[in-house]
Amino acid sequence: MNKHNKTNPTEDPEFGVDSRYRSEKERKSESIALMEARLKRMKNMSKDDILRAKLMQLKLRMEEFIKEPDYDDRKHFLTFLESYIDAIYSKRNQFASDIDITPVMLSQIINNHREPNDEFIKKIMIHSDKVFANICDFNGMTWYLVYFHEKLRTTMMEQEKWRPKLENHVKLSETLE
Amino acid sequence: MHIIEISSEKRFQVEITLAEGTDCKSLKKERYFFDWSEERNYEVYKLQIVGSNNILGLISLERIPVEWRVHIRLLTVSKENKGQQKKYGRIAGNLIAHAAKIAVQDYGELACVSLMPKSQIAHHYISEYKMLPTGMTLSLEGPEILNLINRYSHE
Repeated sequence: MNKHNKTNPTEDPEFGVDSRYRSEKERKSESIALMEARLKRMKNMSKDDILRAKLMQLKLRMEEFIKEPDYDDRKHFLTFLESYIDAIYSKRNQFASDIDITPVMLSQIINNHREPNDEFIKKIMIHSDKVFANICDFNGMTWYLVYFHEKLRTTMMEQEKWRPKLENHVKLSETLE
Repeated sequence: MHIIEISSEKRFQVEITLAEGTDCKSLKKERYFFDWSEERNYEVYKLQIVGSNNILGLISLERIPVEWRVHIRLLTVSKENKGQQKKYGRIAGNLIAHAAKIAVQDYGELACVSLMPKSQIAHHYISEYKMLPTGMTLSLEGPEILNLINRYSHE
């Protein structure tokens, strides 16, 4: 442990830790030792441990996206969906079968050739409720929130494309004072 | 996420957010034990009761992507939350869990949180947070990192 840290040993251990490396040499030697130990431990991680970690990662990423959406061109809902399916299944067709849709429909949704409909998202909600039950708190509504956050963001970002066309079909017949 | 008022055992919902430049100016050593201005080039997070401006705890982090690791540089609770007479419990735990969330979000199953406490208090972090010792470093990884996140995520 860090012997350089000069705080009163009788203090509450939680009041503070100064854990900064004192030198590049210390950083390097600690990093190497830690990495060697971790690599050994990683070899003993079970498939179940890995799956749990991947699903926790997905949950945290989805929650972060809802909190602070990224304003870019990426299809976040579809990326999250792919990560979810690929973490659990070795074959996507099996997932399609489990939620009672055709593999073609799933492929079209994942490849952004078809919009996921309401029923599809509801099925994912039910599926993820079952999957996350023994892993962590996950609100199935998160799928909807990601989907609609992205929808809203895309609609607002693409105003220049759709607005001029629709402006001609919207008028105000009542005079407002 | 919540902390517990020791005297009443009442729970208070908390939030952990990035400390801004204006926060750093108000982080005096007398109340937060370290010179937090030295951490301006790192991610510093503050813990507050929802709706309150009072900062009850702080953590400074360094993300080390090549090692799939988040290193805790500094961790502290405010002066009134230190020792036997502390007002609230679970502040440090929530802050460590926040570091764990960042690590898992970034590195998934490879995630690791590390810190180097002085040897006298290391046993506390090993028993309380199930950290593993390697050299002078304690680390949290594998199933234990997920367990800690779950433990501090419940409302």
